[in-house]
Amino acid sequence: MTVREAGRTALVFAQREFRTLLRTRTIAVLAAGYFLVIVGLVVAAGTGGYLPLTLDLLRPVEVLVPVLAFAFGYRAIFADAQRGELETIRTYPVSRTAFVGGVYLGRLAGFLWVVLAPLLVGAVLVATSPSEQVTVISAHETVDSPAIYLRFVTLTAVFGLVTLAIATAVSAVARSTREALALVTVLFIALVVGFDATIVAALSGGIISAGQVEPLLIFSPNSAFRGLVLSVAVGDVYTRGAMAGSPLAYSIGLASWFVVSLAAAMRTAWRT
Amino acid sequence: MTETVGLSVEAVTVSFGDLTVIEDVTFGVDPGTVTCLIGPNGSGKTTMLRAVAGLLVPDSGSVDRPSTGTRPVGYLAQAPAFRPQFTVRETLSFYGDLVGESVDTESAMDRVGLSGVPDRRVEALSGGMTRLLGIAQATIGDPGLLVLDEPSSGLDPMMSHHITETISELADDGAAVIVATHDLGAVSRIADDTVLIDRGQIAATGAPDELLAETGAADLEDAMSALVSHESGEVATRVDGTGGSA
Repeated sequence: MTVREAGRTALVFAQREFRTLLRTRTIAVLAAGYFLVIVGLVVAAGTGGYLPLTLDLLRPVEVLVPVLAFAFGYRAIFADAQRGELETIRTYPVSRTAFVGGVYLGRLAGFLWVVLAPLLVGAVLVATSPSEQVTVISAHETVDSPAIYLRFVTLTAVFGLVTLAIATAVSAVARSTREALALVTVLFIALVVGFDATIVAALSGGIISAGQVEPLLIFSPNSAFRGLVLSVAVGDVYTRGAMAGSPLAYSIGLASWFVVSLAAAMRTAWRT
Repeated sequence: MTETVGLSVEAVTVSFGDLTVIEDVTFGVDPGTVTCLIGPNGSGKTTMLRAVAGLLVPDSGSVDRPSTGTRPVGYLAQAPAFRPQFTVRETLSFYGDLVGESVDTESAMDRVGLSGVPDRRVEALSGGMTRLLGIAQATIGDPGLLVLDEPSSGLDPMMSHHITETISELADDGAAVIVATHDLGAVSRIADDTVLIDRGQIAATGAPDELLAETGAADLEDAMSALVSHESGEVATRVDGTGGSA
């Protein structure tokens, strides 16, 4: 199969996945819920500026994006396998790479809209807000700018790419609904609290030193995302003079999760 | 259908761990003919078909499939299923896109008798209609070999007859067709050849009339009972006693 044929086949799968998302009621309910939560947070926290908005949304996004990603992706491949349709698909001239790549891209096309739409609404609310008050970090020296928020939104999209890749890997590896749910639950806990809590425990127990924290953070997608936001998006004004970590290290951490997850999905997709 | 060399299965053995499910099986299917794979539950029919379709790799032996066409094998799973959110037409178009050709969905639906429900979602199809959709899907890309696993299982007699007629028409168009089935009435109607599998090995081969002549039985049910080695009412198991699920 040539690269061009693989690309065409991947597009066929991507279209199928995107249409499936559009016709799945659960996804619509989740998307609406996420939208309301994010916009509600923006309104509740006040619309005093792009920097406070970024800091207000950082933690909720860290938690909610993996939830959405797992909801969007954990059945993407597994459902075809469970139904038996994967065996039918395998009798067509389709490579694992094209199949997994197409499934991922199709899900991503719907997922990114859902993740980013309320963030963009938040930006509009700030831009159209009549007040100039800063409600969150008014004690800090700030230089507010839409560029800060734009970088945050971009990094959120990157974080979404990675978490959806992890969800796609789960969908390829799982052999039953129970197994898939167990995997996403364990991974969610690990991503949202597990990695950080382990590092804090190791630090307080003297197992690692303060200087070893930063290298370890790159092993957690959430920590890497948070580190990138603090160092790249708001670093100039919020963490001036403080250790915000290495953007390169965080980027490598996220890229590793992305590549390893999709590679695992491609390796295990053709279950026999 | 494209005129092709048919299927050739040579000394195929398939094992799952210590359990040998298919042992040294050899047979062939000519283009334009229907071969029915029959045998008791657990005898290895589905495993044999999965090996023929390329879904599992035999431990030894070889499977030579037609090499022409955009898709060498058309496959109908034992319990065909498709994305429930999609319509009949959309499902066939999707599979057509996978072989890179524009599928005449009207013709494909018409061939299996689904032309009356092109916009019905898969989730609203009956079991028989889903099987017909599965057969239509199996024909996409004009494969030289059709592998159909229990195409008429659990269907009413009229739907079963319709499906077997469709299978005969597909063979008439030039495809080599192999069908695993328990419907011995259908075997009598459509089979040019039969392969009787018992405990993973070939117990008998030949046209239905030849099996009747060989056993002196009045019908294929009696012929099969005479040719297989396990007791009536038991699920076939291998010599180590762990089989029965293949």
